[in-house]
Amino acid sequence: MSRLLKRLSDLSRSDRRRWMQLSAAGVLGGSMSGWLEALAAASNPAKRRGSCILLWMNGGPSQMDTFDLKPGTDNGGSFKDIDTTVSGVKISEHLPRLATHASDMAIIRSMTTKEGDHGRATTLVRTGYLPVGAIRYPTLGSLVAKELGHDDAELPNFVSIAPFRSLAPAAYGPGFLGPNYAPLVVGDGPSGGEGNSPVALKVENLALPDTVSPDSVDGRLSLLTAQNNRFIRERPAAAPHDVAYGRAVRLMRSAAAKAFELGEETDATRERYGKSKFGQGCLLARRLVERGVPFVEVTLSGVDNQVLGWDTHADNFETVKKLSGVLDPAWSALLDDLRAGGLLDSTMVVWMGEFGRTPKINPGGGRDHFPNAWSAVLAGGGIRGGQAIGRTSADGTTIEDRPVAVPDLLATICQALDIDPAKQNISNTGRPIGIVDSKAQPLAEIL
Amino acid sequence: MAFLWQGPQTRFRVGRYVSRFVAVRGRGRFLALTFLCIGVYGWCLNPLHGLAEAPAALPAVQPPAATALAAPNHARAREMTAQIDQALAEAWLAAGIEPTIASDDAEFMRRIYLDLAGKIPSVAQSREFLSDTGANKRERLVDQLLASAICASHFANTWRDTLLLGTNPELRVSLPELESWLRLRFTANTPYNQLVAELVSSSSALPTRRGQPLAGTIPSPIAFFQANERKPESIAASLSSVFLGVQVECAQCHDHPFAKWKQEDFWSLAAFFRGLDGPTADNMMMVSLSDSFDRGGLKIPGTEMVALPKFLDGSVPTWRAEIGNRTALAQWMTHPQNPFFARAAVNRVWEQFFGKSLSAPADSVEAPDPRRAQLVEQLAEQFVATRFDLKQLMRGIALSRAYQLSSKVPTTDTDLTAQFACMPVRRMTADQLFDSLVQATGFYEAPPPRNAQPFQADSVRVDFRNKFAAEGRQRSENQTTIVQALTLMNGKLVGDATSVDRSKTLTAIRKIPFVDAKDRVDMLFLATLCRMPHDDETAEFLAYVKAGDQDGRLADVLWVLLNSAEFVSNH
Repeated sequence: MSRLLKRLSDLSRSDRRRWMQLSAAGVLGGSMSGWLEALAAASNPAKRRGSCILLWMNGGPSQMDTFDLKPGTDNGGSFKDIDTTVSGVKISEHLPRLATHASDMAIIRSMTTKEGDHGRATTLVRTGYLPVGAIRYPTLGSLVAKELGHDDAELPNFVSIAPFRSLAPAAYGPGFLGPNYAPLVVGDGPSGGEGNSPVALKVENLALPDTVSPDSVDGRLSLLTAQNNRFIRERPAAAPHDVAYGRAVRLMRSAAAKAFELGEETDATRERYGKSKFGQGCLLARRLVERGVPFVEVTLSGVDNQVLGWDTHADNFETVKKLSGVLDPAWSALLDDLRAGGLLDSTMVVWMGEFGRTPKINPGGGRDHFPNAWSAVLAGGGIRGGQAIGRTSADGTTIEDRPVAVPDLLATICQALDIDPAKQNISNTGRPIGIVDSKAQPLAEIL
Repeated sequence: MAFLWQGPQTRFRVGRYVSRFVAVRGRGRFLALTFLCIGVYGWCLNPLHGLAEAPAALPAVQPPAATALAAPNHARAREMTAQIDQALAEAWLAAGIEPTIASDDAEFMRRIYLDLAGKIPSVAQSREFLSDTGANKRERLVDQLLASAICASHFANTWRDTLLLGTNPELRVSLPELESWLRLRFTANTPYNQLVAELVSSSSALPTRRGQPLAGTIPSPIAFFQANERKPESIAASLSSVFLGVQVECAQCHDHPFAKWKQEDFWSLAAFFRGLDGPTADNMMMVSLSDSFDRGGLKIPGTEMVALPKFLDGSVPTWRAEIGNRTALAQWMTHPQNPFFARAAVNRVWEQFFGKSLSAPADSVEAPDPRRAQLVEQLAEQFVATRFDLKQLMRGIALSRAYQLSSKVPTTDTDLTAQFACMPVRRMTADQLFDSLVQATGFYEAPPPRNAQPFQADSVRVDFRNKFAAEGRQRSENQTTIVQALTLMNGKLVGDATSVDRSKTLTAIRKIPFVDAKDRVDMLFLATLCRMPHDDETAEFLAYVKAGDQDGRLADVLWVLLNSAEFVSNH
C-alpha cells in the first residue's frame, strides 16, 4: 500500500479515535442550560506554548514609506523619518507610537523574492512555497495551529480576522492539512472582506435563535449524537462532521467565546486600538491570545471602504499616510497590552505583506509592485528586538547586505515559537513536505 | 380538513405542499385533495418542484419516454458496465479484499439523485421508487434522471465549479453566462468534444452598458477566460488539468521532478493563448474575445527562452491561414485520437461518481496501477465510440457493481475506498446541500429583480454558497467546518425550516389529518434522509415526540435530521 493510502487510513483511524474520545466525553451531550457560564475548565496554562499574531498587509505595503525611508533622495518621496527608542533605527513619521516600541522589534529591510504578481506572491509569503501543481500548501496559520494547538481547546486553534482572500484563496486555507486546521473566519464580507465596512467581528450564528429554548436544544443535541453515532459506526469516514459539530457546540457553550465580546472592554481601550476594523481586530487578537489561541491573523485591507489599500499604484503618499494612521495605534496598543499581560515574550507578532513597492515613483504619484527588496517586521516572541537587519542601497533598488528569503523568515518565526521548521507533513500527493522549505536559514542574530 | 379553508394563502401553501408527501398509492382522500390543488393552481407553477418530476399523484410508474436526445445506444453503456465490473473484480481478488455489501434501494436512490439531479428526491419521488416492484427499477431511474432537465442544471453547476476552481472570486461576476451556456449545451446533450472545442476557441462579445457587461443576459463561455484574467499561463494550466488530465502547471517554474513535462512544454501550451488582452483600467471586465492569428511565442519568465506554440505531445501545429491559435489547439485537444482527452473525461466523470478519479494524476507519486490504467483506456475507447456522449458514460458507471455498493464498511482497518470496494462518504457540494435543504424544507427565495447584479450578498443562496464553498480539489477532502456547523445549527435557513410557524414541510407534516405520530416521523425521515426509519430510530424518536408538545418536538426531530452527518453527506 502506498504511503498516501497508508496515511489516509491512519487519518480515518485517528479521526475515529478522536471521535470516540469526544463522544465519550459527551461533547454533544451535557446540558445547554448553563449558557455562557464557565462550564468547562479554561485551557490549562501550564500547557500553554507560544502564540503568533500575523498582521497581514494585503496588497503590498510600501517599505520606502514605512520602515526603510530614503528621505531627500529622488525616490524618497514626501515622508520624513523620525528617531525611535533605538539609536540609529529610524522609521516613518506617520508611525510615531510604534517608534516607542522599537526595542521590541526586529525590522528586516532586506526581504527579497522574484514574485511580482499579487496571487503568486501572496501564496509564496503565506505558505512558504510557490504554487506548484497538485500540492495544496497550507497557510502559515494552519501549520502553526497544528504544532501548537490542542484538539480539546475550547476555542479554535486558528482565527482569521477580516481576510481578503480573493487574490489567492488557497493561500488562506489549511491545504493538505485538512479541515481540522482551517481557520475560524470572522469579519469577512460576502466576497472576502469589504474594506472598513462595520462588520461586527463576531462568529456568525454562535447564538441560539430566539425561537429555540435551551431545554429543547438539550433534547436536540442528545438525539443528534445518537443519530450520528448510528451512522458513523457503519461509516467511520463521516466522523469529521461530528467532530466539527462537537467543536461548534463547545464554542457555543464556551466561556472563552466571550473573547469575541469586544463590548467587555472599556471605551478608552477600544479607542486606544482605534475604532477601525483593523484596530478592533487587533484587540480581538489580543483577547484570543490571552485565552491560549496559538495563531491569529488580522488583515489590514484599506481605509474608507477600500480593498487592496496598500496596492498604491497611484496616490501612494496620501494612502499610506491614512493606512499608517490605522496601523500605528492598533499595533502599538497590541504590543503595550501583550507586555502588560506578560504575554509579549511568548507571542510572536509578525508584520508583512506579499511584496514591497518600487522605489521609483510613477507619474501618478504611485509606487508599483516590487519584490526585489522590501521590509517585514518581527516583534515579541522572545526575539532580540531593537535592531534592523539587512540594508538596501541609497536609492532603495537593491539589497546591499543580508538578503532574506521568505523561507528564512518563516523558519525564524517557527524557531521563535519552538517549532522545528524541518518537521515534515505528508501532502495530498503523498510527498512529505517540510513546514518550511529545507533550504531555509533562520536568522540567528535575532533568535 | 378545516385548515384547507383558512383563506387562499394557507390553502395555497398547504395544499400545494401536502401533495409532495402523498404516496403513489396514497389514500383516496389525498388523491382528491391533490387533484384539487393541481386543478386550482397548476402543477407547473410550483417553484419547489424539479422540472422533471412527474406529479406525485399519477397512479402508475411511467417508463420514461425515449426522447430523440437520449436515443439509446445502451449497448455501449452495457459494455462499459461489464468492463468496470470485470476489472474491479480482478483488482479486489488480486488485493485479497472482499467488497462491502450492496446498497439497498434507498441508499442507491439518494446517491443517484444527488449525482445526477444534484439534490435529494422529494418524498413523493422516494415513495414512488421505494414501492416500485417492477424489473430493472434502478436502470429505469438512471435513464429517467439522465433525461431530465434538472440533470442539465446540475452538470452545469458541476462543470462550472471544476472550470473555475482557484480563480479569483471577485471576477466571477460573469458566472451567469458560463453557467447558462453550460446548461444550454447539456440540455441539448452536446457531444463532449464539441462542447470543449467551443469553450477553448470561443470568440464573442458580451453586451455592455457603459462599459460594464449586462449581467446574465447572453449565455457565453468567455466568462472562463475572464475568470482567469486572460492570463495564458493560468488558462493553459486550467484547461490542461481539466480536459487533458495533465497537471502541467507544475512545470511552470521549473522542470517537473517526476513527470516528463518540461518548463518549455508548459509555456509552449500557454503560447496558444498569447495576445488575449488582459484587463485594462477602463475595461476591467474584458467583454469581448476573438481568436488570435499571431503565431509568436511566450518568453519563459526568468530566462531568455521563447516558447513557441506546441502541443503537449510535442507536435507542432500545421498552421492554416484561416485557423486561429485557439481553434488549432481545440482541434488537437478534442481529436478522437488524442491520447489525453477521452481518458481525462473518463477520470473526471468517474470522480463525479466516486469522489476521486479512477487513475492517479500524472504528477502523483503513486505508481499508476496497470489494471486501472487499462480500464480507463477501455472506457475512453467506448466513450469515443459513442461520439463523446457523456450520458452513456454516466449510465455505464452508474449501473456498475462498484457504484451500487453500500457505503457501510465492515469494522476492519482495511481501506476499501482505495480499491472502490465500497462507496466513499462524500460531503455534498454547496449547491447540492442548498438544493437538498430546499427540497427537504420547502424554502423558497424569490428570484432577484431583473436588473440586479448577480451574486448580491443578501441572497440566501449566495450567502450559503460562500459559506460552504469547497476549497479542496477532491470532494472527499471537503469536510464540515465550525462556521458551517453553526450555520446549519443556528442559521436562518434551518431555523425557519424548523420553526413551527414558518416551515412549509413541518406545517404540511403537522397538519396532514388521519395519520398518527409514527407516520409523521416517517415522513420527516423520507423528506430528509429519503428512507424509512429503522426500528430503533422509530422507538427513540417516537418516545421523544410523545413526551411533550408534539408540534415543537416534531420541529426538533426535523432539526436533528437536517443537521445529521447522514443528511449532509452523499453516501
